Order: sequence, then C-alpha cells, then structure tokens
Amino acid sequence: MILEQNERMLDILEHAINKVSLSSKDFLDIRYAYAMGESFTVRNGRFDSVSNQTTGGIAIRALIDSAWGFTTIVKTDKESILKAAEKAVRMARTGSKYTKQERSISDSWVFEGKGATTIEIDPRTVDKEVKFEKVVKTEKAAREYSDSIAESSSTYQESHGNEIIINSKGTKVENETHVIRLMKNVIGREGTKMQSVFDSTGGAGGWELIEKWDPEEEGLKAAVMAEKLLIAKEPPSGKMNVVMDPSLTGVFIHEAFGHACEADAIIAKTSVLEGKIGEKVGIEEINVYDDPTVKGLRGSFAYDSEGTKARKRVLVEGGILKEYFHTLETATALGMEPNGSGRAMNFNVTPQARMGNTYVEGGEMTIDEIAEIAKDGVYLKDSYGGYVMPAKGQFYFSCQMGYFIENGEITDMMGNVGMSGMTLEVLQNTFAIGKPWEPAFQGTCGKGGQWVPVTGGGPNLAVSNLVVGGTE
Amino acid sequence: MSSEENLHDLAEYVIKFGTSLGADQVEAYTIFGSVKSIQIELGSIRRFTDTSNSGLGIRVIKDNSIGMASTTIFTEESLEKTIKDAYSLAKVSPPDPNFKSLPYDPTTAPTISGRFDEAVAAISVEEFTNLILDSIQKATVRDDAIISGNFNAGIGERYILNSEGVDRFASQTSVSGYLGVKIQDGEDIGNAYYYDAATQMKNFDHIKIGTEAGLRAKKMLGSQKIETTSLPILLDPDSAYGTISPILSSGINAFSVFNRTAFFVDKIGDAIASSKLTMIDDPFIPEGTDSAGFDDEGVVPKKLTLVENGILRTYITDSYTAPLVGLENTGHASRSSFASRPQPAPYTMKIKAGSVSKDDLLADMKEGIYLMSSSIHSRGDNPQVSAQINQGFYVKDGEIQYPVKNAVIGCTIFEIFEKIENMSKETENRSGHEAPWILLSPLRVSGGK
Repeated sequence: MILEQNERMLDILEHAINKVSLSSKDFLDIRYAYAMGESFTVRNGRFDSVSNQTTGGIAIRALIDSAWGFTTIVKTDKESILKAAEKAVRMARTGSKYTKQERSISDSWVFEGKGATTIEIDPRTVDKEVKFEKVVKTEKAAREYSDSIAESSSTYQESHGNEIIINSKGTKVENETHVIRLMKNVIGREGTKMQSVFDSTGGAGGWELIEKWDPEEEGLKAAVMAEKLLIAKEPPSGKMNVVMDPSLTGVFIHEAFGHACEADAIIAKTSVLEGKIGEKVGIEEINVYDDPTVKGLRGSFAYDSEGTKARKRVLVEGGILKEYFHTLETATALGMEPNGSGRAMNFNVTPQARMGNTYVEGGEMTIDEIAEIAKDGVYLKDSYGGYVMPAKGQFYFSCQMGYFIENGEITDMMGNVGMSGMTLEVLQNTFAIGKPWEPAFQGTCGKGGQWVPVTGGGPNLAVSNLVVGGTE
Repeated sequence: MSSEENLHDLAEYVIKFGTSLGADQVEAYTIFGSVKSIQIELGSIRRFTDTSNSGLGIRVIKDNSIGMASTTIFTEESLEKTIKDAYSLAKVSPPDPNFKSLPYDPTTAPTISGRFDEAVAAISVEEFTNLILDSIQKATVRDDAIISGNFNAGIGERYILNSEGVDRFASQTSVSGYLGVKIQDGEDIGNAYYYDAATQMKNFDHIKIGTEAGLRAKKMLGSQKIETTSLPILLDPDSAYGTISPILSSGINAFSVFNRTAFFVDKIGDAIASSKLTMIDDPFIPEGTDSAGFDDEGVVPKKLTLVENGILRTYITDSYTAPLVGLENTGHASRSSFASRPQPAPYTMKIKAGSVSKDDLLADMKEGIYLMSSSIHSRGDNPQVSAQINQGFYVKDGEIQYPVKNAVIGCTIFEIFEKIENMSKETENRSGHEAPWILLSPLRVSGGK
C-alpha cells in the first residue's frame, strides 16, 4: 500500500520539479513528509492522555542566486504542489536581491534509493492492552514503593515517518523511519526537598526494543533511587575533577562538542570550531564519532531529509578535529563532502545540520582506576539535559545524581547538579577514558525550534576543571 | 483553509460526527497560522519562508475515559479517521475518576483591543526586509561584527468548540525578531542577542533589536572567570521576569498541586517569598502578546493576584484541575500545541515595582553579579537550581567590572524567593512582560578561576 502511494507521490513531485523553470545553477527540492504517532502517559495511577497524532504535507525549497525560498502546503495534488514550487522560486528570487553571501548546491551529489528502519515487531500490530500493561506496571511499581514518591509516571511513544525527497539535481529518495520509546519518571518529595529520576529505553526500531523492559523492576529501581536521593548530600560548588558515566558522557559530548561541529554554525561563523579542521582540539587518546547507521539507536536513519545517504562521521580522531555535520549547502560552501546530517522535524520546517548518535570511543580504564587518578572530585551520573552557546564556546549540562570522589575512592551519594565548561578546553582537559562505551543517553535534541531524536554515549570519562554548580 | 467559515464548519462536523459515534462529550480545537519568516546569516538575508500551520486536536470522552487524536490533514477521509481514532482510544482507555466534564462557559468573552493589526497581517516581503535591514545596520557595531537572526510576522486563528456549547473564535497577529551579534578580538569573544515581540507593528522596536544586540556584544568582550564564592545578584527586568515567573508558574499550577509536586503545594495563605514580592496575572492587557479573552478550553479567564507581599493567594486552574484542588476554574487552560491536552498556565504576569532607583541598587552593591537577559533557570519538577550565567557581569564597589564566563549559580527556588531583598521603582516592559530590577541576597556562585 505504502509502495503504491509512494510511487504515485513520486510522480506528482517529479511533475512539479520538471515543470518549474530553473537554470543549471538553481536548486529546487520537494519533500513529502507524513508521520503518525501514538502516545500515552499514566501518572499516579490515572491515564493522563491517550492520543494519536498525524502530520503530513509538502515542503518546497528553492535556492536561486544564493538566496533560499521555502514554503509548505498540506494539499498533495499536482496543481497545488506546482503552484507552491513556483512560489518558493519567486521568494528566492526576491531574496537574491538582498543577499550578500554566495551560496549554491553542488551538482556532484545525487542520491537514489530507498531506506527503512528495520523493525522485527511492528508496534502497530501490538495490542493496546499489551502496551498499556508496560506503562501501568512501571508506574505502579514506583508509586507503591514508598509514601515519599510524590509522583510516578510512565509514558509510551511510537512514531512512524515516511519521507519522499526529490531535487532538481536528480536525487530521488524514499525513507521510512520508526522510533519507539518507553519512559519512566519518578519524583520523590520530603517537605520542600524533591528529587527526580528519569530513564527510558527504545530506539529506531519496533516493539522488540522495549519488549525486554521489565516494568516492575524498572519502576522499583527508579523509586528506590528517588528515595535515596532525598537523603543524599548536597552537591559541591567550584572547579573540580568530574568523572562522568556513559549517559553523562553522551550529553556532555553532544553539548560540549557536537553542536559546535554543526556546519550551519560554521558557515555562519557562530561556532568556536570554525576553521579548526586539522587542528588539535583534545588529547591524543580522544576519538569522537557520530554514526546514524548503527542499527536500533534513537538517532539512526538511512537517509537524511535532503535525501543524502547517512554515514559515520569522524569528528575527532587522535585529538584532531576532522569533520563537521553537513547539509548539502554547508558541504558546498566549505568544499567538503555531505554526510547525511540534514534533518528536519516535519514537513513544515527546513533541514538543519544535526547530530544522530554521537559518542566518545571507549578506552581501557575501569571506574576504580579512574577514581584513583582523579583522587578528589565527583563521579556524576545520568543526564538531566543541557544546552550550548556555540558562538561563545560555553556549554552547560546537568546530571540526576552522583557521588563524591575522596582520596581516590567513590564515597557518598549526592543529588542533581549542573556544570559549565568551555568547548575549546574540555577535550584538552580529559585525563582518563574508561571502558567500554555505551549509547546510554537517549534524548531529543532541540535546535531552532526543531526537535529530533538522538543518542549520545561513551565510556566513563574524566575531565578536569569543570565548574560544578552545587550549593556547598 | 484560512476562512473562518471553513474552520468553524470543520469543528462543528467533528462534534456532530463524534457524538454520532456514541461519544458522551466531544471537543474540537482547531488552529490556523500563516507566517512569513526571514532568516539572517552573516549580516545578510539567507532565506525567505512562507508557511501555513493548520491543526486539529480532538478530545472525546466515553464513560469517563478520554481519547485524543490530532491531524494536520483536513481531507474528509483524514478527519473521519482522526475522529474515529479519538473515539476508539476513549473506548479502550481506563476511565479517569477525576474527570468531571468538558467546560461550558456562557460568559461573553471580553474583546481585548489591539490583538490584530492589519499592518502585520498585510506586510509585504519588501517592507519586512527593509525593516530588517535597518535593524542589521544598527547591529553592525564593527565592520567585522557577525550578525545572525530571524524575524517573523504572521496571523493566527483559534477555534474551540465542544458538545457542551462552547463555541469560541479568536484571531491575532504577531511580529517578532531577534539578532545575535558576535565580535572577536583574538581569543576574546563578545556575543549577545536581543529580541522583541508584539501584536502591533507600531510596538515592534526593530531598531532597538539591532542597537541593543550590537551594544551588548561589545559589553561582553573581555569576559573573565571568577572565584567560587557567595555573592548578591542583581537581575535586570528581563532576567527578573525569566527567573521569577517560571518558578511561580510551576509552583502554583493546580495539576502539579494535585499531584503534590508543585513547589507551593498547601501554601495558599502562607508566605512563599520575601514580603517585597507582589505578582498578578493579567489575561486582558491590551495589545498583549499573551493576552486572551478565553482559555484553551473556551473559558473566560480571571485576572488574579497570585502573590501579595510574599503571601500566596491562589493557584491557577482549568476545568479538570479546579475540582481536584477545591477552587473555581480560573480559566487558565493552556495547550502547548493543538495535539496536546490542556494544563493550567499563566497569561502575562506582572511583578510589582519597589521604591528605590535601579541605579542605587547597583551603586550600593559592594561586590556581586549583575545579570543581563540571563535568568536563573529552574526546572518545574525540582527546586534545586544549578544555572549557568549566560550574560552576567562582575560588580565591585557599585561599578560593573567585566563580564563573567564559565560560572554557575547554585541554590534552590525557595532561596530565590526568600532572598528577594529589594526591587527598583522603575520597571521595563519587554514584549509585554513587565518587571523591575530585583536584588537577591547572596547566592552560591561557582566560578572557573
């Protein structure tokens, strides 16, 4: 059914591309994007929301004489799409009167193919009752653990996307994505003291990715931790050695470094990594990659929203900066190769240079060996979010909990805390890399109002001179 | 799909069809938006965008169970499927014993003046571009200034109908923009931004966006790391609003109060802040960007005094949460998108001014931090605050010395409220958000020195 629909849609999109008058320098792409989602949340024993979401439409971009025109429509007939394509071209022509930057898309990159997330068990075929059971049991196990659990919730999400991308250079790509996620969030409270514990599982794939989630065990684990955190020590303040677990390493590398490698910020000169390809940005032992082709991870996909085939990106190798995240435009502007990083949240927005699955390669040390080298500091765990200001090279990220490191030993537990660091300093200040690496941070990354699924990861990683924002 | 008749007809069709399937209650929430955007990169135009956003969210109640479905596709086939989806989900969902009813409010919604401006709705690409070029020119504080940003102008329409008789329509215009400016002397980076938003073109200060972004970038040159210590914090009005209003918003949301995760649960009538703090929430400010004559369930809201001299006066509620916390419905239902279920949220909060001058607040500061458009960011589900200083300055003997980098403020939201030491008599209104300068007693500041 989808195949037939896609073929019909391809014909309609090609009709518009062929009808619009363009010069050989011009660029026009048309993207059909349709997505369906299902989600529900159980909070404190009640279903909060049970919902289905459908979005669909056509996105049309034109790059004419260095300026972009972009428009979207929800109608999918030939005439409407052609009219919208002509509008995008007109807008770009108007813009070209004002632009001062030279921009184009190279003729060199034409992609044809079909990609799809591998799913073993299609969640759409799984009975609702079975799905409900996962969240109901997870939530219940946490809630009933103790009176100190103020709120227990569990959320299930699945989404299924279908994109058809064609452009005036000859690209013709169909891409199907399936992402599934099961989350738990527990808030412990004693008086004015509150602590949250969040975790999730899933990725790009089907029901098989969450089938193994044991709801009672997972709910209980979160509740036990939330209760422990209520009596944990207050986090310290000041500049210190920070050892991060794989989840925190994931959000750290995403915020500290990944965003600064996005080439739209590079060509706009708003990243501190501009012009630093080939330069030393970290210690020799550090390697950082991003790979959207790893099967099953949240940030995995076969083609990006410009139709470029996704591939592994080598960001840092041997401490040397090697590669940025590229769209077709940024790759052309910088004379580099596109690497499938042009991701768009839905049909109503344009692709941006984005990450997929970003990670620090594992080293050799155990956590005890790292603590011994760190001697004093903190061992922090589990991401609690973050952000970066790439132009300034300053980033922030936070953890759910941690432990003190005293005289080389991991000692008392502490509650959540945030940290600040400088992009150009942190990889140079890395002093120990653990083993093995895990894609432990499962997140949703926001940029310019667009949210896309990502993962981050790495090994236990130790960095000196991070600023920890505790109260003690 | 932008005509009133079409969207209203569509919402009516949803109610009728949903009811005919056997639903006890049905609600249709439809939006239409059309936005022109212009993106700036390296000080010149990069992209013109003209997009339309339409969406329909449906809530169906069957035997006290709730099902929701949404779509952006308005074909007959898609609409029928969406209504059936919502109904099927309601049928398979366990009942919610706390759900009473979708609301009905026969009150005539007040007309708020200045919410729609033809000058915004009809602005041409050329006019909008020229205005932006003026802004960029003001931001060009040096030849090597790197300027980026985005400007939007658009219209939005909202229809809410339900099977209980709610039938509301509102439209508004909005114009907004920001510019970021980066200047660099060797390794020294000065980076700042400024934004504005308005419903009326006459209130949109595009010149100030450019002037302030450029000026602030220059001020941010020469940043230094500081020692870890405890320091008083002076918040400019933008930082004050951005710090205080989210804490109160999360802290008095009746949904969180019911779940006992709100910061200020069981605190009505108690002191939750220094006696200097008085805050109101006003849904009816003329020309206000966040003003509305009815909430996202169609209920006419109330103007509320939230905090008076530090005492909490009320929570904010919607139709679901009001009975749960034993208060009347204050008309604060808010949806993050057409697809989401409403939850209580404020409209436009105002922080009452103090009696000293802002210059005296700074002049009297022996040592401290001055925050400029850099709120002390908190999370709604955790009172622990660990917030990076994004645009802040070290102050010594009443004088701003240098911008700080790589520093984090660590405290709790309760400390922030308790430590409100003083407020300026002057206030500033940024995009409808009004606040004075606020001085906080010393908080822990972690520095990178």
